[in-house]
Amino acid sequence: MIRFDNVSKRYPGGQEALREVSFAIDSGEMVFLSGHSGAGKSSVLKLVSAQERATRGSVLVDGRNVGALKGAQVPALRRSIGPVFQDHRLLVDRTVFDNVALPLVIAGMPRAELEKRVRVALERVGLGARERAQPQQLSAGEQQRVGIARAIAGKPSLVIADEPTGNLDPQLAIEIMGLFVMLAQGGTTVLVASHDLHLVSKLRKRVLVLDHGKLIDDFRPSPRPEAA
Amino acid sequence: MNRRVGPAPVEAAAPKLALPRAGLRAWFDQHQYSALSSLGRLWARRSATVLTVLVMGLALALPLLLSLAVDNLRGFGGSLTDSREIAAFLRVDATAADIERSVAAVRALPDVARVEVRDPAAGLDELRRLDGFGEALELVGANPLPSVLVVAPEADIDAARIGALADAIGNIDGVDFVQFDLAWRQRLDAALALSQRVVWVVGFLLALGALLVVGNTIRLDVAARADEIAIVQLLGGTDGFVRRPFLYAGVWYGMLAALVAIIGAGLAFGALATPVLRLAQSYGASHALAGPGFTACLAVMAAGIVLGWFGAWAAVGRQLARGKPQ
Repeated sequence: MIRFDNVSKRYPGGQEALREVSFAIDSGEMVFLSGHSGAGKSSVLKLVSAQERATRGSVLVDGRNVGALKGAQVPALRRSIGPVFQDHRLLVDRTVFDNVALPLVIAGMPRAELEKRVRVALERVGLGARERAQPQQLSAGEQQRVGIARAIAGKPSLVIADEPTGNLDPQLAIEIMGLFVMLAQGGTTVLVASHDLHLVSKLRKRVLVLDHGKLIDDFRPSPRPEAA
Repeated sequence: MNRRVGPAPVEAAAPKLALPRAGLRAWFDQHQYSALSSLGRLWARRSATVLTVLVMGLALALPLLLSLAVDNLRGFGGSLTDSREIAAFLRVDATAADIERSVAAVRALPDVARVEVRDPAAGLDELRRLDGFGEALELVGANPLPSVLVVAPEADIDAARIGALADAIGNIDGVDFVQFDLAWRQRLDAALALSQRVVWVVGFLLALGALLVVGNTIRLDVAARADEIAIVQLLGGTDGFVRRPFLYAGVWYGMLAALVAIIGAGLAFGALATPVLRLAQSYGASHALAGPGFTACLAVMAAGIVLGWFGAWAAVGRQLARGKPQ
């Protein structure tokens, strides 16, 4: 699903965010990107969603070379990805329903199908009863769930999340991560950037550890021993 | 206080990346969405919208009013028949047959609308009515005046063609000399041509002003919605999708401004109609003031829409570039 081959990224100011990073993520896999602040986690996600282009190396998403995408191919790639942000990035002047419907409106989905998908997505994140609420009427955890519902409403095969639990208390963070685990169990590829190593270790998923732009570890937890 | 909600089971992901449906219905739905959402935004900021529309409307109304004024002036000049008539004085010894031949020759010329024969007796009566001439004419025994052909040219010809017609009349056998105030016509035509040019220049400058007004308004709207645009781009919104609501907003601004301009021009002409008609009548003309017609209204509406659309298109461009991969 995602393949990085010797990817480096240098920003215009000269800051080298990634250095010769290589990894591959299979379809349906859930992977954490971990590392200190400024390690390059967000840069990886930006390269995946074509917000940035690699300075060197190649980034493949679902077989498409992201660096070579032109014009209208970039929005098409982004429509195939469900992004989740640390600060939710909900439209405050729209209802929960309208926020979740936004990627479907962008995709040109017929109204009846759109309504069905929005309600399914909201049910999945436990907010089926709040579709008429405004985002500011919701708690931080609920807002993040709306963000996740928006990301999955279009049934993308890849969900990327940048510090999705960064503003949440530990209990809510576990709940939100639980949603991502279930998404992965359903066959969606999930790539989550998080600096919370404690939380990440609890979930026993593959972890790519970045340090100053270099991939220093690709940790795959051993399978949990079967109960006797 | 955050609420704990257990997540529902998750279905398998869709096997394909792209969402279905990109047909006519989807295209229509997206346009409807953009058109209505842009209207909603204009309505939500009513006072700012009214101000923008009024400024734009004024910028459209001024060239419309100037253009209509020039058209009316041209019509008014054309209807000042006395100043356009050519007087052809025939020889004093012309017989009735000579006069008939001269009239026929004049009628055969192009650009002649009407020919009237004023015989010497009628000319003498006209002179007698003028102050100071009555007693002088008593001293003259026989009528010294010749027959005169009063020639009215076609209404829509300019001074140069009237001058050419006067020359042609002067060359007709039996015509002694021709009297025609060419200089007055030339000055009027030159003034009208200058006015027409002024209309174009002022129209262009005001259209540019309208473009900047709508462009700036949309630019502020774009800046206020930069976060929303960024989100839409991250969710896969194309340039067209991002731009569309702003283009609709520009079109709404342009349409409303054109309506303001047309109504304003109509009211202005309604208020001026009676005094202008009185003025025209005092000059012997019957020209009634013509307000903005259907074609002019259509042109103003089209200009408003094009200016609004183009201003919005230019304003969104820079923001769109920010969402491109660097």
